[in-house]
Amino acid sequence: MSSSTMRWWVAVDLIEKILSAGNAKADEVEIYLSTGRSVTARLKRREISYAAGSDNKSLAIRVISGGKIGVSSTSNPGRWEPCLDAALRSAQLANAQEWKGLPRPDPAGGGWINFDQTLIPDPARAGGLLQDMVEGAGAYPVEITSGSAEISRFSTVLANTNGLFREDRESLVSIGLEAIREQSTGYEFETSWKADIDAVEVGRRAAFLASSSAGGRDIPTGTYDVILSPVALAQLVEACIIPALSGRNVHEGRSRLAPLLGEEVFDPALTLTDDPFHPRGTGSCLWDGEGSVTRRLPFIERGVLRCFAYDLKTAYRYGKESTGSAVRSGMGGGISIGVHCATLDGPRCNLADEEGIWVHDVVGAHTANPLTGDFSVELSNAFLTRGGHFEYPIKSAMLTGNVFEMLKGTEGISREERVVGAFVLPSIRLKNQRIIGN
Amino acid sequence: MTGIRYFDIRHVRGEVTHIDSENGRVESAGTSFLDRAIVRVLGPKGWGILSLDTFERPGRENLDEILERGSRLASLTQQEVVLADVPSGTIPVPPLKEDPRSIDLPEKEGFLLEIEKAARMTGITSTRASYIERFEDVYFGDSSGNEYSYTICRCGYSVLAVAVRGGEMQMGYRRRHALQDFPLRHMQDDGRKAARRALALLDAKRPRGGRMNVILDPELAGVFAHEAVGHASEADLVQEGGSVLGGRIGHAIGSDCVTIIDDPTLPEFGFEPVDAEGSVVGPTEIIKKGVLNAYLHSRETLAAVGHGHAGNARAMPGEPPQVRMSNTYIREGDSSVDEVIAECRRGIFLIGTRGGQVDPGRGVFQFNAECGYIIENGECGQMVRDVSLSGEILSTLHGISLCAGDRRMHEGYCGKGGQSVPVSDGAPHVLLHDAVVGGSGSD
Repeated sequence: MSSSTMRWWVAVDLIEKILSAGNAKADEVEIYLSTGRSVTARLKRREISYAAGSDNKSLAIRVISGGKIGVSSTSNPGRWEPCLDAALRSAQLANAQEWKGLPRPDPAGGGWINFDQTLIPDPARAGGLLQDMVEGAGAYPVEITSGSAEISRFSTVLANTNGLFREDRESLVSIGLEAIREQSTGYEFETSWKADIDAVEVGRRAAFLASSSAGGRDIPTGTYDVILSPVALAQLVEACIIPALSGRNVHEGRSRLAPLLGEEVFDPALTLTDDPFHPRGTGSCLWDGEGSVTRRLPFIERGVLRCFAYDLKTAYRYGKESTGSAVRSGMGGGISIGVHCATLDGPRCNLADEEGIWVHDVVGAHTANPLTGDFSVELSNAFLTRGGHFEYPIKSAMLTGNVFEMLKGTEGISREERVVGAFVLPSIRLKNQRIIGN
Repeated sequence: MTGIRYFDIRHVRGEVTHIDSENGRVESAGTSFLDRAIVRVLGPKGWGILSLDTFERPGRENLDEILERGSRLASLTQQEVVLADVPSGTIPVPPLKEDPRSIDLPEKEGFLLEIEKAARMTGITSTRASYIERFEDVYFGDSSGNEYSYTICRCGYSVLAVAVRGGEMQMGYRRRHALQDFPLRHMQDDGRKAARRALALLDAKRPRGGRMNVILDPELAGVFAHEAVGHASEADLVQEGGSVLGGRIGHAIGSDCVTIIDDPTLPEFGFEPVDAEGSVVGPTEIIKKGVLNAYLHSRETLAAVGHGHAGNARAMPGEPPQVRMSNTYIREGDSSVDEVIAECRRGIFLIGTRGGQVDPGRGVFQFNAECGYIIENGECGQMVRDVSLSGEILSTLHGISLCAGDRRMHEGYCGKGGQSVPVSDGAPHVLLHDAVVGGSGSD
């Protein structure tokens, strides 16, 4: 019997105990138990300076009584009793709301869709990924400043007093390398749930960015066509678009998209979807963080706003259905509304054939105004492109505008896509964007 | 055990209490528990590190097992890590002004709802408030026989107001954090201020970006000190070759009115009684009258880079220590705020912050203001919104020509390497010449 199987039975016993104790005092009880192992190795310049291993455990308990919802969590599941007491006290303090019950077991069954059993948290393997990145970076004359490689496996169990009992397993490998040439930096990374990442290529790309950004030129302030890489696009979409699609923000008066259901909000060529079954999505899942079955959500279809995202609590309160959009995050695995794997589709083409400014990354996207979408960000690794290649690097400039307005007029998206956080995105070409140069 | 040169253990147990309210209704309130430890083992070369949830401080037998695991990890490292020999010790945690544990949760909810209610003025369509209270029992012990433990409390709240008129939507917010105190009493004025800011922003215009003179208010100037100078002075980045401030000790990198200090001993939100590897904490003059004077250090970076003292290793529970800022500020000058505005003549006065970011290797920073005012003929005029500032560290500091005498500190959290730690930033009103301002306005 493997040690992971041993842990599994320990978990089953623990969950039964908590559900039983909680059920005596609340209408419904939900348990979310997560256990995981990860290894991390870090580079300082070209050498491994530390190797780390983590044993992670967390337990989140939710209880519902008379529409009052209480929550608590702990990183010491063995001490579940104070955690259950805290959840029960929390429910006493909450305002009651319309509540139609936690999910019941789904006969469709389960399984996991982002777990690769060959991805083992082995520190030597993490060290090997670092060495591969160093090798890749050798393609360009740069200094490596830092790098990291992390491999993790998690097992989660979601169970409730309606008989739902679901186990999920996830694996993740995440690597990144930062390089510098003179005063030009380049950072590249890759994340995957399976053992398919090309660490040599990640190192090469980081070195390319640092090397080719050296000797940048100033550009005058003006209006330019801009090509945002998936890295830059993901940050702006995450800062402004995703919060505006949350049902909670929509109904609580914090989304500018709230009154626009059925209306054109993007370029009619663009479709924004949450695809929980995307084969590359690191957050892909068959059910969401509270056990609702997930489904593809076409938020914006050919430019038209079609739906918002709901968890159970928000859906029950506002007479909607859960869209399977509950995600677990933070220290205690608390529930919020989010996306599992957001994708953008549209007309695919070669984006760099015509003149424009290609932007790999931006500095400060999180400072965008999440309500209005207004932003001003500094460009990182930006180049003037012409005829399909980089003409010269741009030393320093800001891109300023409004994320919602920006996506109303596009010139196409790239054929290639990449995983960035909870997104799998292409690059996008945008017309007439304002650049503040020097 | 062979090959182990040093080890330390940092174990944190704690309770985190939160209250979230939305539009006058308590959405969630309760307490969660944390119990995490980090064990670092320094092998013949580098570190082997274990991050453990559910930690029982080990007896001799368990300790050997943990050290063996750490040692195996350390055997993979290549870089020879040297630790500077530095003084170890603690300073007292300031006494609790008011113990938040003495106030029950329903009463705390009442205080928070009062703040949120104060924000519900005419024209405000949505309000939200949240409170967080964190008690941590911290234990530190190392193989040199040093052992410390302390309890620390940090609390904070925020209130958000959304104003809508026609198709226009704007927000205003206020937030406060407190060290060793309960911050929720009699703070309804913050709700009103958040609401007034949201309403005023409905009439503000987007400025046209470009190069101009800028006045930073104390909150934003504090963020400037943090983003533009503080991060680049963290010696782990210097050691890696990833900071533009590397190799510039003794160089004039700013005007002589600029002195920037980091001080974990100040009883502000970034206070630490001892750092995360047991080193004594103390103030560091990073920039002294425009000249780069010292870096912020851990024991490892002090040995590798020099220039300064250890005491700035900080960590979230269960995470490895990193070199971090604590309470960082620009020292006050002797000008009045009116003199700063008059000296600006034509430009923009930026107020409040929505955060910032820096690329320390490239030496480029960006941060965003909550709002601002156009300055014409040395006087404040039209309100503007969604305005940010970017620049290069090595040139921008030369552009600071005046510092007022009204330094104030503001609390917040700073992220680095996946860890978020409490900090405070501070400054007086500061005049910055010829800065790059981002704004999407057309006139």
